[in-house]
Order: sequence, then C-alpha cells, then structure tokens
Amino acid sequence: MVNRLPRGCVNVGGELASAMEECRRIFLSFFENWGYSPFLPSGLQLLESAWDKLPSQVRSRLVALTTPYGEPCCLRGDITLAAVAYLASHYAPEEQPLRICYCDRVYMKSAPPRTSIESFQIGAELLGWEGEGADAEMLSLLLRVLDALGLERTTIALGDSTFLQRALASAESAAAESLADALRKGSLPDYFAALEKGNIPDFYRTILSAIPRLRGDISVLSEAEKLWGRGAPLSALKTTAATLESQGYGNRISIDLSLARDPGYYSGPLFEVYSWESGRSLGGGGRYDRLLSSCGLKGQAMGFALDLEQAASLSSFPSRRSPTMAWAGGLSPEEALRRAADLSSDGTRIEMNWNGDRNASLQAAEKRGCRSWVDLASGTAFTLFPAGKGGAS
Amino acid sequence: MMLTIALPTGRVFSDAAEMIAGAGLPCDGLASPGRKLVIEAGEFRYILAKPSDVPLYVSYGTADLAFAGGDVLLESAMPVVELLDTGAGRCSVVVAGPRSQAERFRGHASELMGLKVATKYPRIADGHFSARGVQVDIIHLHGSIELAPKLGLSDCILDIVQTGSTLRANSLEVLEHVCDVSLRLVASRKSTALRWKEVQSVMNKISSHVKEKRP
Repeated sequence: MVNRLPRGCVNVGGELASAMEECRRIFLSFFENWGYSPFLPSGLQLLESAWDKLPSQVRSRLVALTTPYGEPCCLRGDITLAAVAYLASHYAPEEQPLRICYCDRVYMKSAPPRTSIESFQIGAELLGWEGEGADAEMLSLLLRVLDALGLERTTIALGDSTFLQRALASAESAAAESLADALRKGSLPDYFAALEKGNIPDFYRTILSAIPRLRGDISVLSEAEKLWGRGAPLSALKTTAATLESQGYGNRISIDLSLARDPGYYSGPLFEVYSWESGRSLGGGGRYDRLLSSCGLKGQAMGFALDLEQAASLSSFPSRRSPTMAWAGGLSPEEALRRAADLSSDGTRIEMNWNGDRNASLQAAEKRGCRSWVDLASGTAFTLFPAGKGGAS
Repeated sequence: MMLTIALPTGRVFSDAAEMIAGAGLPCDGLASPGRKLVIEAGEFRYILAKPSDVPLYVSYGTADLAFAGGDVLLESAMPVVELLDTGAGRCSVVVAGPRSQAERFRGHASELMGLKVATKYPRIADGHFSARGVQVDIIHLHGSIELAPKLGLSDCILDIVQTGSTLRANSLEVLEHVCDVSLRLVASRKSTALRWKEVQSVMNKISSHVKEKRP
C-alpha cells in the first residue's frame, strides 16, 4: 500500500534521523547546563491570541484550521510566542528572567523554492532580563553549541534593527516603508529608487545610502559610527561583537547593517546563521522586546531558532553513529541480553542479531553498515573497515 | 576561494558575457563556450544555466552571483539579493490580446472576471490580477504564447514584449502594462553576508561598465 504524505510533509528516518536525534540531545543538554529549561509548547495556537503578535511574514504562512471544539487555530508556526505567553502566565515578575530551550516541529508554508510546510526547530530564548548581557549570552552560547554540534564552519551575520529604524525615522512613513520593504526583499535598485524619491534630511540620506554596503568584518561598526557621529545607535551591537571577539569568535561573526526584518517585531540586534557548506541560512534570531511588552511584560527578549534537519545534515554525526552488531551465538536470550547490556554500559551502540548462522550474522553486519561485530558467546570481536564495508580484521 | 557566477543561456547570454568582459573580469572561454556548462577563469567559475534555473542556483547558494532577467526573478519569487539593474535586455511584461478585448480592459474591473490568460508567468499573472481583486483563469503554457488567443484557448496573454513585432504579427495589441524588466545582477543572501567585499568588487566593476556604456 502506498503511504502518500500530504504535499510539503516529510517522514525522516535512517542516518539523518539518528543525526537529528544526536543534535537534539546535544543541543538541549548544552542549554540545560546553562540554566535553560526544556519547553514543550502546544501544537495548536489560537488565532485570536497569535495573529496580532506574530511577524507579518510568519502570519501569511501559517497553517490555519479549526479544532473539534470549533475554535479557529493555527498549527504552531512559531515557538517564541508560546514561550512568551508561558512566561506571562506562569511566572511572577520577580522570577524573571526565564531561560528556555526547545526542539519541536513547526508548521508554516516555506518560501520558494522549498515547498515544505513542516520543519524541526531547535532554539533557545532568554526572556525578561532588563540589564546588559542577554545578547552576548545568547550569541556566545549559540556559537558554542554550533561547535558542539560539529558546525565549526559557520558564521553569524549580525545586524541591528535599531540602526536602520532610527535612520528611517527621519523619512516620511511611506518612504520609510518602501525603503525597509526593499531591504527586506533584497532589492538594491528598488532601495535606491525609493531613497531618491523620498523627502529625507541630508544627514540621514547619507546614512541610508551607505547602509547596503555596511557589511563585512567588525571594522564596519567603526565605519558606521564615523558616519553617524555621536549617538550612533550601535552600542548594543558593539558590546556584543566585542564580547564575542574577546572569546575568540571574531572570525565567526560578520556585520550586516542592512539586515532587515519586521520592524514591528524585532527591536535590536538580529542575526542569521550561515554554514560555509550550504547556501541557505541555518536559522537566525534577534531581540524582540515588543512582543514582551505586548504581553504586558517588562524587559528584553532574545532568542534564536535553527533548522534541525539542516544542522544535522551538515554535522558530522550521520557517519559516526554506526553500531556494533552483537551476535547471540546460541546463547539464551536472557544471557545474550545480559552480556549485551554489559557491552553497552560504556556507551557502545548495540544492535542485537539472533541469526543462527555465524557467517550470515557477519554478512548482515557488513550490509547494515556496522562498525564492528561481536560474538557474545565467545567474546570474539571484529572491526569492519570502513564501517560496514571491506573485510573483517 | 572561487566566486561562482551563474549566467543565463539563450537570448541574454551575450549581454551578460559582454558585461563580464567589459567589466574586466577574467572571461577566457566565455565568448565561445561550445557545450561547456562550467567554465573556470582566474578566480571565477561561470555556470551556464537555463534562465529559469538561475534564481534557484543563487537562492541555494550554489552560485554567489548571477545575471537574471527581471521577469525570471519575479516569476521565481526566490530569496536573492538584487544588486544592480544593468539596463540590458530591457523589455516590458504586458497583457496583450486581440483588439476585441480592449473594451473589457478600459471598463470596470468586473469586466475582467473570468478572463482566460495564457502565460508562461503564472505567478506574475496571478499577482497582477489578484492585486486588483480580479479572478482570472490562468493557462500555463511553455512557449508560443501568442497562439493561444488565435486558437481560442485564451482571451489574452501575459508575456514579455521588446519591440512588439511578434504581437503585431499575431494580430495582438498591448492591453495593459504590467512592469518593466531588464537584466539584473543578483547575489545569494549568504554571499552578500559572508563575502561582501568580493561581491561588492564585482558589482562595482559591472556598475562602472554599465555607466560607461550608457549614452
């Protein structure tokens, strides 16, 4: 029988699923060690609660439905909103900040060329901290966890929505909207056309003209500061970049002051994560204080989410998770399982084999890509080179 | 690390190749590529791709930069960074049809309800008509669009027009202007974020060449 999936949906199995599970485990355990609590949000969100609070780009891609109780809902398209609502209803102000981490599916229509409507997200949020440090903590932990996931060849493109928003505040609202829209779309010809048309004071026109080229290494921040002069809205970004640089991550960040997202949602530093091995962004995040204030909460909110499937496929885990085949070799199931449990107690991955024939068991180990084979009865072991291929030694 | 530039084969290939040469980028082998689809010259790798596939190469980051027609970019709706309008290959996307349809287009939008539109740009057609609240029947064709009204397959077409001679040869006239398109220099979001200096250098060289050529 053909088990056809709805368009845009996916079953994940095999090595990729193993790699995703390993990445999930490493990610959650890493953040738990830094005081982040796992969070398991509801699969459905009420449209009446979510609609006004989500960024416009997310709203237009939600998967809407009605529950059996007749309530208009959407499949969870975003975990951040659920996390903020949880903070608002479960924690008193003196219990803030709240640190959470998560790994779950989200459902949204993808932008072309992708057609998927579901994906796996891993992410972390730091909610309700009013002082300094949240941005640096989040980005520093992000870089560390990328390393732990075997994604050392990644770079974070770091921008700050405040810089653009302050410069746009000088323009009439229609011109400001056209400029921000052109940057979001990624069209420099449209951006410069809107800039030419807009009635903008010279000082801000100079800054806005420069924004599309304010990208590169950390020295771009000095260039932007020189351009703006005193009061350049870059202090949060400068502090964060300096902290990351002092931690040895200077070569893992690049500055992009043209990064633009929904100004009604993001309110400070924002970033995208890129791997040198892949063209698409692995994910991103930023500061979204306005969502907190719309829920009646004080303080900053900073978070990020990564695509788990992409992270796992770029990590080195798919190729290093092949198990050891444990052949029962005529032992009773009870004894074979006892010996296998001893063997796995040091973390060795075991796959039991109950075949009556020794050679057939060895062949099965090769076919299934096992890195080694062990006879539980005699204790004889073979390493298979490379995993599952070539002869036994 | 090499910079990869995707070039569209077909009508605009010569424009793109001329711009690369004019900008002073290494281009050995580009003038007569023969059957080659990948050409390496100096620090550059050129990929020769079907025009409609070019945005895909860029959005997946396979190519750092590319030349792509504005019509192709609009139709693909893929996330790329548009760096420069080169002005080459300038033409218009229009709705065209037999003279008998002109009255419908001059009247109220309700006159256009149920209009049958043949096009190889279904996304642009949908965006154009739905922005005005007009529901049309879009017929997706892959070529010889001008035949559709003649054969009764559609009321009109949405297509690109340069001189208008093909329209006239098929007894069609422009009923509505949709947008102007031309050859654009685009880049992947990743490359503009991580390799901006190299991307900017190519952009500046091509921009200078385009300005020099403009009358």
